[in-house]
Amino acid sequence: MILELQDINKSFGRKQVLNGLSFQAESGNAFGLLGRNGAGKTTSIRILMNVFPADSGQVLIDGRPIDYKKTQIGYLPEERGLYPKKLIIDQLVYFAELKGIGHKDAVKSVDYWLERLGMSEYRNKRLDTLSKGNQQKIQLITALAHNPDIIILDEPFSGLDPVNAMLLKDVVKEQIAQNKIVLFSSHQMNYIEEFCSNIAILNSGRAVLHGNLHDIKRNYVRDRLIVRTEYPEKIIADFGENCTRGENCTLFIQLTAPEEKKSIMKQLAAAYDIDELSVFEPSLNDIFVEYTHDTADKEDRS
Amino acid sequence: MTQFRKILKFELKYYFKNKIFVGITLFLVLAIAAVMFFPRAAGIFRDSRKSDTASELSVMLVKADSPEQTPLIEDAFKEAFPEYHVQITSKDASSIRKSITSGKAECAFIINGMTSYTYYVDNLSMYDQNTAIADGVLQNIYRINAMVSSGIPVEQAGSIMSVQIENHVESLGKDQMQNYWYTYIMIFALYMVILLYGQMVASNVASEKSSRAMELLITSAKPAAMMFGKVIASCLAGLIQLIAVFGSAILFYSLNKEYWGGNPIAASIFDMPPGLLVYMLIFFVLGFFIYAFLYGAIGSTASKLEDINTSVMPVTLLFVISFVVVMYSFASGDVDNLLMKICSYVPFTSSMAMFTRIAMSTVPWYAAAASIAILIGSAAGIGVLSAKIYRVGVLLYGTTPKFRSIIKAVWKA
Repeated sequence: MILELQDINKSFGRKQVLNGLSFQAESGNAFGLLGRNGAGKTTSIRILMNVFPADSGQVLIDGRPIDYKKTQIGYLPEERGLYPKKLIIDQLVYFAELKGIGHKDAVKSVDYWLERLGMSEYRNKRLDTLSKGNQQKIQLITALAHNPDIIILDEPFSGLDPVNAMLLKDVVKEQIAQNKIVLFSSHQMNYIEEFCSNIAILNSGRAVLHGNLHDIKRNYVRDRLIVRTEYPEKIIADFGENCTRGENCTLFIQLTAPEEKKSIMKQLAAAYDIDELSVFEPSLNDIFVEYTHDTADKEDRS
Repeated sequence: MTQFRKILKFELKYYFKNKIFVGITLFLVLAIAAVMFFPRAAGIFRDSRKSDTASELSVMLVKADSPEQTPLIEDAFKEAFPEYHVQITSKDASSIRKSITSGKAECAFIINGMTSYTYYVDNLSMYDQNTAIADGVLQNIYRINAMVSSGIPVEQAGSIMSVQIENHVESLGKDQMQNYWYTYIMIFALYMVILLYGQMVASNVASEKSSRAMELLITSAKPAAMMFGKVIASCLAGLIQLIAVFGSAILFYSLNKEYWGGNPIAASIFDMPPGLLVYMLIFFVLGFFIYAFLYGAIGSTASKLEDINTSVMPVTLLFVISFVVVMYSFASGDVDNLLMKICSYVPFTSSMAMFTRIAMSTVPWYAAAASIAILIGSAAGIGVLSAKIYRVGVLLYGTTPKFRSIIKAVWKA
């Protein structure tokens, strides 16, 4: 199954929030939706979930407009919250039923997930008697209990201790293995790098970068070297303004063309006392900052 | 439709599991039972002490200044004040006062001549009619004496004074005296239930928003299903409470009817025609929908639960004003004044105004039908509009948005 957002535009009043947004996510893979605050992530999720319509553009499943009766979506919102004064079982079953599954199946599924997340003992307790982390696990069940085809997780790891984060990782991996589309929205880049094979970086309502994360990294122009050395001064003196200092005794050397890589590496290895030498491959964090930094600042200034 | 049913069930369950809701309903039913069974219980006590009923009557002392008039006055006072134990006394004023302050007697009349008296009573009640009755008694005696002294025989004078006028009243429309009490109670019940449950809808929506459960709800269910589910659930809860209270009152009254036999107010309350109950149901449901939808829409625009009280103020004020207009016209007896006629067709006021007019006056069927039709149309319109406001409102956090910006957003949506 392929989920596709095609040329989505949306404005609130005079503010254009989404500006021709397009991306694709496919089942059996996790997709990372990245962007700075206000980039349009929540708006695109809400359009995807049919909370409000787009001004123009389409949401497609396998090339056809999405049918919300046939395609189930599970959602863990960034703003967590359920009914604090109601019994956990009552509200979980209610939310599952709202998604269209029968009462018996809802109870069965909710009980399965309570067991799976180690929350069975809280089944008949009120939500406000639970810790924040446990409340978050309860909220996760609302996204999964109706066995959705698409799972949207907005900042799923925030507020979880390492043990619970591990549990959530396992659950996410299970869902991916079950051929679901898992859509991640997060600022914790390490989790995105760990799970997501495909990403889209949103900036000013557009996908400024979109595709397979591995390919994006490989296709990055390989014209920078990282050198780790205890004696950086000589290299800095020789390479001049092409050489900049990094953290932990590292230096970045900017090449004028990627083809120089081989010769410069040879030269560095022969002439200097070097502990480590490699071609710079950007982390997702670097890519994110590069693609969102300037424009977002300009947006703020305007 | 299934979603709407699920929401309705979930919301209704909330009311039935709510201890305050159940507690208030039970309390009201018990209070009504206590009132309705009271005459029966009081009757039991009275029966057991039947022998000393005479001594239970309050004592009224009467002092006449001329001995020849004393038997006449005694007979007349005993007849006029059957609820008192009338005692003729010859004590002086100060000892009469003492017996009143000490509680031996409740009140006393000291009659000077036949045209003047002093009435002594410990605390003069607002409803004390004794002087008016005594005035009548003394006037009668004076007139009979006057007639006797001018040569008319005593018996003839007596029959002249006690002549009875027969009258028959045929009310061609409604008898306001007869309808007053139950209409009063019904208007009050309408007012209380709409206000209480309407505000409950507002705080229910606002608490879902402030607890952020809304984020999930709005992505799980259609706003119209949410809004209609909530409003209809709270309407049903209000209706169930009304039926419990009114039903138990009617049931307990019919169980104790013989003990209430003589009470005109009780008879008037429970003598309501079934047709009027149907009208009450219609106006309650429609009036409730209009206000509950408005309350729900306002609840969705409030960001914090604390803001609710100020946000709902305009709607509450509108409702209170319509209640005051109706109550004022109702108390003055002129329920068909121009203001009431206008209010009968304005959807925000018609539920109470038209109902009062139907109960207390004669309203042609087409006028009632027009008012109901306007109410149905407005309730549907306001329902759809408030579902739209709800969809826009629930996603707006931060400061409460301005009315204009909401309308703009709704228009766009």
